[in-house]
Amino acid sequence: MAQSNRFWQRHKFKLNGLVLLLPLWFLYDSLNPEFPPAWPAQQLGQFEIAPMPLDLKPPYAHHDQYVKDFYLSFSQGDIAAIRQGYLNIGPAPLPLAELQQHEEGILHGSRHGQHVHAIAPPQLAATDKVWLTLQTWQGEVLTTSWPVPAELLAAR
Amino acid sequence: MAKLSNRFWFQLHGWFSLPIWLIFCFVCLTGTIAVFSHELTWLTNPAARASNPDKLPAKPVAELVARVQQAYPTADVGSVMVFEPYLVTAVTFTDHDKPFAIAYVNQYSGDIQQINEGMTFINFMRSLHGWLLFPWQSGYSVGYYLVSAMAIVMLGALITGLVIYKNFWRSFTRPKVRLHQGKKTVLTDLHRLAGVWSIWFLMVMSATGLWYLVQAVMWHADIDIEPHAPLVAVSELPASQTTAPVDFAAAMQIAQQRFPDFQPSFLMLPEHNRGMYTLMGGGDHIFYDQYSYNLSINPWTGEIANEKSPATMSALQTVMHIADPLHYGTLGGIWTKAIWFLFGLILSGMSITGFMIWGSRTVKAVRAGRTAVNLQEVPDGAK
Repeated sequence: MAQSNRFWQRHKFKLNGLVLLLPLWFLYDSLNPEFPPAWPAQQLGQFEIAPMPLDLKPPYAHHDQYVKDFYLSFSQGDIAAIRQGYLNIGPAPLPLAELQQHEEGILHGSRHGQHVHAIAPPQLAATDKVWLTLQTWQGEVLTTSWPVPAELLAAR
Repeated sequence: MAKLSNRFWFQLHGWFSLPIWLIFCFVCLTGTIAVFSHELTWLTNPAARASNPDKLPAKPVAELVARVQQAYPTADVGSVMVFEPYLVTAVTFTDHDKPFAIAYVNQYSGDIQQINEGMTFINFMRSLHGWLLFPWQSGYSVGYYLVSAMAIVMLGALITGLVIYKNFWRSFTRPKVRLHQGKKTVLTDLHRLAGVWSIWFLMVMSATGLWYLVQAVMWHADIDIEPHAPLVAVSELPASQTTAPVDFAAAMQIAQQRFPDFQPSFLMLPEHNRGMYTLMGGGDHIFYDQYSYNLSINPWTGEIANEKSPATMSALQTVMHIADPLHYGTLGGIWTKAIWFLFGLILSGMSITGFMIWGSRTVKAVRAGRTAVNLQEVPDGAK
């Protein structure tokens, strides 16, 4: 205890200086963001969509719901043709009737790409899949899924 | 006993300010620069200036959005930020070749003066001062905690400083700086004088800083101070594809009708078919920030689904909306900003003079200690 106190007394100002070096590192990091690779694109009606998790961390809690952030890029199809869309992670897709009651997992963004805070369990399991449910303005409901890759399952 | 007690307070004063001296000084300096971040932007970037030689009235914000849409037909506008009358209006958008861009639109001429695809100086200074650029996890940033916890340090240093400095109020009536009695006396006098004249500023910064700390804990604990914007019910969406009947211009008009003194500051367009217009602005309330009016407008019905104004705010919301103008010094425009800037400099100077005083005492104590050891060693060696 006395030794750690002596260490603190000797080096406190150097530690202050080291903390102030961190903003430089964080600035570099924010100017050069790195994301995990996008998952293989899948065809769903007129759309070809590839999801990309924003990081390889486990889902995080937002209010009473665990969520995981994704970016969906559309290489085919007009996003304006979607009436509403949702993403959830689990053993099965959540029914649209249930999804549309809330705002969790809703696709949002612009005509150039969509963001989503996907509804997720607190811990991802190998039996889970990432389910995309789209409803078009024609009333068509389209669903597809991606397996959760091993690197995301291993996330702690 | 009285001497011992004074020594205790003196030590406590040092414990509050010295261990994190360098970080505290950095936070003070960056905060001081951040006070004038809008003016510095105006000075350093001609494209950010809203020049108006013909004294034209400002165009409606919706018209500025339309200008961006015309110039970039494949763009999708996300939000609009309105600043002081001398700065351009910022229209954020995405495009097929731009993941995120800000159009600097002159609100008088309607000209797009710059497309910024990077960061702005205003945001950079705010992030550097507010959380030292530490990344945000879900709901918290270590840097934000670190900086807002400085409020405790500041309040502690203020209280202990006033206890040590007997009859401190004399600094108001008979301020003195003894320039010819050595460096330490000059430093001490400057430190004390600055401290006493900054009592109000230290109190304002400590109080608002403590609020930011409370706010950080609430964010981290997922406690909403303001409710989320409501969502359009699926039953209100049309069955077939149509454009929402309430466009941005109409939504702005609804906000203006609801609050005639509504001065737009941050306007968000719907991000999906169930999203609403979120329109924030200030009004004729001197102590409230530029987000004290907040309206959620349904683009399919024109209904105001949710609204907030100073009259309907809870106690916490009120604190939230009066903290920023007090902390930033924006409540009275450029003149109060100048006062905040000056006192920011004084505060930065106090942290430097405080450290120098401590430094000179420590050096003296170490020298005295060495001399004592040497004196002791001589007789020992003679034995």
